[in-house]
Amino acid sequence: MTDDLGFIDPTAGGARAKIALAPRPMDLAGKVVGLLDNTKEQADIIFKTVAEVLRSRYGVARVVIRRKEAFSRPATEALLNEMAKEVQVAAAALGG
Amino acid sequence: MKVDEFEFFLEKEWSDGFPVVTPTEARVRWMLGGTRRDPDEVVGHVPPAGEAATVRTVAIHALMAGCKPDYLPVVLGGIRIILREEFNMGGVQCTMHGVAPLMIVNGPYAEKIGLHGGNGCFGPGFRANATIGRAIRLMLLNLGGGISGRASATIFSSPIRYTACLTENMASSPWESLAVSRGYSPTDNVITCAMAENPRLHFDDVSTEPERLLTGIGDAMTAPGSWNMWFISDMVVAMSPQHAKLCASAGLTRTDVIGRLSKLAVRRQSSVKRGGNWRPERARAMGIDPDDDDAVVVAVKDPQRLHLIVAGGNGPITAVCHGWNETSRAVHGTYEV
Repeated sequence: MTDDLGFIDPTAGGARAKIALAPRPMDLAGKVVGLLDNTKEQADIIFKTVAEVLRSRYGVARVVIRRKEAFSRPATEALLNEMAKEVQVAAAALGG
Repeated sequence: MKVDEFEFFLEKEWSDGFPVVTPTEARVRWMLGGTRRDPDEVVGHVPPAGEAATVRTVAIHALMAGCKPDYLPVVLGGIRIILREEFNMGGVQCTMHGVAPLMIVNGPYAEKIGLHGGNGCFGPGFRANATIGRAIRLMLLNLGGGISGRASATIFSSPIRYTACLTENMASSPWESLAVSRGYSPTDNVITCAMAENPRLHFDDVSTEPERLLTGIGDAMTAPGSWNMWFISDMVVAMSPQHAKLCASAGLTRTDVIGRLSKLAVRRQSSVKRGGNWRPERARAMGIDPDDDDAVVVAVKDPQRLHLIVAGGNGPITAVCHGWNETSRAVHGTYEV
């Protein structure tokens, strides 16, 4: 019921959960960074270039590049969990 | 201060921009009279937000959209089938593209409730078509969060996202229904859903035999910039009864026409690489040498995914609806009335 007006909330009151953003690191030195390739064309080329820059310019210890199954589908839980265990910072990005 | 119920709902962003029938307990009870199912039964979760579509929330949206209770079984059946994994509604809710789930409803119940497949069936003026499709859209917005500029990255969206529901013009069709062509009984109530762009009208008041007619329709199916050229995706082609009869009178069945269109809806690579979404990677993914200008690029990679229906009024037009990408596969199934 909305505001006691007698109208029904069509979302059935299902308040969408707000998830706080993870704290952003101020420094990438020594960290393991994950890059999630969305499979769009040239994402792999962009990521290889970004990985080199992350290592040479920001002192990143290691870059882990993983690839989703398809750009129009979410990454699987298994892939996300695997990345969450392995990396300290992750970025999802697309090619095109 | 008296609250204007129509303004209240528009301000809450619980509509598609048009006024909705305000859901009150009494009206929702009336709408639930259209089904024997338990209001608390969960029909599915609408991506990407994932809120539950229960029989009750589906009824609320059917009411808001302007449905009669008799339409509720089609809305319930429609949302259930749209939420099937292989249809990938979540992908379309978020995509830059503007396709919508087009519902083609076959069977006696569609006829009973007045779903329209004749003159103007893609357009305004037919309550069942307008409100059943609208109910689906309102759920995609309110339960799924597929709102442009938020979860949805759609660049243009499209008019077909207001409503996208029709039946075939069985009274004037020379062929069995789409559902019967897929193996269902004529007494089954069946919904087919495919991701579709707005219909592109192909006017041909000249052809007197199928080959010329289908050559032209095939060409309309191969537009550079459409995803059908580069993905194994669905496409809906709606022939007017006149065009369908031109084929049928020459002895062609629906399957024959699909087969012929699959052969005719092609372009030389030189023609599609001049513009649009041609890329060497996409050509290679289709097994085509990007440097071979004479290579043939086909729009219909799988004839099962060309959904040929007979609809519209009398006259010489076929409507071509291009599709989306290979992560969505058209779905069909019976629904409970």
